[in-house]
Amino acid sequence: MSGSATTQRMLRLEGIGLSVGYGGTNVLDNVDLAIPTGEITILIGPNGCGKSTLLKTMARILTPSKGSVLLDGKDIHRLDTKSVAAKLGLLPQGPIAPEGLTVRELVAQGRFPHQTLLRQWTRADEDAVNGAMDIAGITDFADRSVDTLSGGQRQRCWVAMVLAQETDLILLDEPTTFLDLKVQVDLMDLLAGLAHQRGRTLVIVLHELSLAAAYADYLVMMKEGHIVASGTPDDIFTAERLKQVFGLDAKVLRDPDSGRMVCVPSGTRMRSATPVTAR
Amino acid sequence: MSAPAHHWVFRSKSEGIALRLPVRALVALALLTLVLLLTCCVSLATGTYGVALNEVIDTLRGLSISRAIDNVVWEFRFPRTLAAALVGAMMALSGAALQNTTRNGLADPSLVGVSQGAALAVVTLTVVFPAVSGALRPWAAFAGAILVALAIQGLSHTRQGGSAIRFILMGIGLSTFISSITSALMTYGDIDRAMAALSWLAGSINAASWSDVWTLGIWCAVLLPALLAISRSSSATRMGEATAVSLGVRTRLIRNLQLGIAVALAAIATSVVGPLGFVGLIAPHAARRIAPAGIGLNLLITAMVGAVLVSLADLVGRAAFAPIQIPAGLLTALIGVPLFIVLMVRSRSTASH
Amino acid sequence: MSTIAAPNAGTHPVRAWSGVPVLLGVLVLAFLLHIAVGAKQLSLGTVIEALFSFDQTVFDHVIVRNLRLPRAVLAVIVGASLSLAGALMQGVTRNPLADPALLGLTSGAAFAVVIATSVLGLTSMIFIPWIAMLGALGAALVVYIIARLVPGGATPLSLTLSGAAISAFLSAVISVIHLLDQDTFENLRVWLTGGLAGRDITLLLYVGPPIALALIGGVLLAPRVTVLAMGDEVAQGLGVKTGALKVQLLAVVVVLTACSVALAGPLGFIGLVIPHVVRLYVGSDYRWIVPYAALAGAVYLLGVDTIARIAIPPREISTGIITAMIGAPLFVQLVRRRTR
Repeated sequence: MSGSATTQRMLRLEGIGLSVGYGGTNVLDNVDLAIPTGEITILIGPNGCGKSTLLKTMARILTPSKGSVLLDGKDIHRLDTKSVAAKLGLLPQGPIAPEGLTVRELVAQGRFPHQTLLRQWTRADEDAVNGAMDIAGITDFADRSVDTLSGGQRQRCWVAMVLAQETDLILLDEPTTFLDLKVQVDLMDLLAGLAHQRGRTLVIVLHELSLAAAYADYLVMMKEGHIVASGTPDDIFTAERLKQVFGLDAKVLRDPDSGRMVCVPSGTRMRSATPVTAR
Repeated sequence: MSAPAHHWVFRSKSEGIALRLPVRALVALALLTLVLLLTCCVSLATGTYGVALNEVIDTLRGLSISRAIDNVVWEFRFPRTLAAALVGAMMALSGAALQNTTRNGLADPSLVGVSQGAALAVVTLTVVFPAVSGALRPWAAFAGAILVALAIQGLSHTRQGGSAIRFILMGIGLSTFISSITSALMTYGDIDRAMAALSWLAGSINAASWSDVWTLGIWCAVLLPALLAISRSSSATRMGEATAVSLGVRTRLIRNLQLGIAVALAAIATSVVGPLGFVGLIAPHAARRIAPAGIGLNLLITAMVGAVLVSLADLVGRAAFAPIQIPAGLLTALIGVPLFIVLMVRSRSTASH
Repeated sequence: MSTIAAPNAGTHPVRAWSGVPVLLGVLVLAFLLHIAVGAKQLSLGTVIEALFSFDQTVFDHVIVRNLRLPRAVLAVIVGASLSLAGALMQGVTRNPLADPALLGLTSGAAFAVVIATSVLGLTSMIFIPWIAMLGALGAALVVYIIARLVPGGATPLSLTLSGAAISAFLSAVISVIHLLDQDTFENLRVWLTGGLAGRDITLLLYVGPPIALALIGGVLLAPRVTVLAMGDEVAQGLGVKTGALKVQLLAVVVVLTACSVALAGPLGFIGLVIPHVVRLYVGSDYRWIVPYAALAGAVYLLGVDTIARIAIPPREISTGIITAMIGAPLFVQLVRRRTR
């Protein structure tokens, strides 16, 4: 079930037969991944399954020892890196904010692929930065130093930076780590809006299973360098799959109101009367 | 900064040029230029042969007052003053580039062995091969500095991509090693050549001639624009390797270029006037405190700060204990170390690691 | 405290003792060789004769007694002192890159001596070791205080940078004084390069007792350094008075370093490298590291000094230069392996 439901739209990003490794050990082993355009694809899997590696390889940060990544049909590792940056943006894990930068300056860094030495603040640049800050909801902090913001606010600044890059494809590596639940949900709502209302293609690596199940249009489960299952959450977010990929004993429930799937780990401690809430 | 900084947005007609520059930085740049000019004038008027300030200005304007004054101003002091400013700018820029590359605010060409490498090359040339012409000095210095920089890079590089602490510690270790070889050459080489090398090693702008000024000027004119050209990419690399690549920066190329330019600047400056410590360390930080700015404008301000610093050091060195001249290299250490300590103490902990 | 089972003591208790006679033997050999080798090569037999059945009329015996023996003794004392001081420093600061020279101690001592002789005009030999000691202590305090003020505290990096800065500063001041007062400085120039050539052996009379006390003190305190190296809180939990211990150790280090500087000028890197080499053979228990470091340091300096004398005959290479030439690459190797 890999992408056949979305073949109406042209495939923009695709990984074929990817093998990535360091010094003899393979982190990814012959992985195929076709990213459906205009939708949210979410990669999940236990620690060390290779999901971050896969994302970075798709973003050409890492080079595969075998296989290739195609961007609009061409090998991404052979394309000029700046022209790729105009089409594909990545928010990596743990980005470093240089000392003393204001929010506006940080977001403006995202305009790099569109700038030259003397053309650094065209009207297009200004609009893109303002627009990105608006979408991310950080316009109020525009002139504040990034160091003075909270974790959630800072993360939104990084998202704004990637937005300012104005790419059709946006890849994010664990953007919700260390954030409060509400901030996580807000962020995912923002990203969902980008895909569904603005037609961008998103690929996100997530740690939180229920969040992934709630927001993914296309869910990819990985284990030990392979893709074990891929498809819509309805199809593959099942108790058997969770056991197979994570070794997790859990029940999968569907919230009757929103239709969202939620996983409820069984664990050894059982409470009798109080209903168990989702993690 | 409690209130948002004012910026001046400049867009030419068809947006061929579109820049957003902080006003405070532009003002600071203008003021620094003024201070530099003032220092230069005072420097021209100072010395064992008394020349009044107005006489200096007249001589510079072309009105010859006396042959003697002409001589003193044009042949001795002017080249020296220009050399001081140029060397200051070059060392400051070198430090800025090094700090950007290593992502560590405590890097300085003299702290990481680059100055010592250039020094060793020049001392070797002076003591061991005196027959070789002095014109080769800049090239030898460059070669020495490059070798040391490569050695440190190679030694401190791990799979994770090289850590800044290792780079600095390697630099300290390597520079001590090189200093010992230099000492050995000085102690056991011919005494006259050793003395010549010794005076040079103290970092003195004393004997700067017009040909030295040309050398400095030409290299500065080549390397500064190069640094500016890669400034945006350099700015993007500060956010981490993955972010930079994702933005479309050729990270390895930029890092090597930056390192190469940093080394070249330090090497050329050192080859002309000897090792000047701590300017490259202090100037970038001072520039950032005077007026925060984007990396391009910041480079210009840094260069100015460096020029002012070394010009002042040279002036004080000449005037304070007249007729004995204290080499500018010693003064930059004397002023630079306390400033360095203040920087270390006030830096946020992100400076290390 | 010596009843506490320190790390690694259990793993090679036999080996820990067995090394001592071997090292002592090597030391004796190196000692004799040092005396034998030189501008005039003497046979080992002659040397032994000169030492034990001194005959005033034999010229070779005179050379041995008056010229070479003092220098060899100096090498043993300075080598042992600096290595022991380095080992203690590394233990107390929990910093594998600690070395009395790297942390500004030697330049502080040198600076104090220079100031005393040129600015204050003191020429009497009696005061030099005490002045050197004051200088070393002052510099150490300044370096430590600065490192403490840096955000993150006194880490290996901040200590090294602080030490490098203070050393650079003091060197610059010394150079300025040199320029301003060239006459009195001429005498000190030799001393400043660090080496065992032409040293005044009578200084040993004044410096000997403090050094001997400090060496003994260092060896006695060594077992507690191991406990200290496990962390202040752990040590306190085991009943060690950490504050008092640190002061005692610092006193020992300063005395050893300052006296060594007074005897032989600033000699760097011995205190850094020898303890590490020793650690490769005896493990991490300072009870063994300290005495072995002292012995190994003595052997090392004897060896280096011998090389200094025979490398480019008939001239001599300054020992200080050779120690840096050998020590610095070893330092670089250490950094490579230890920091990641």
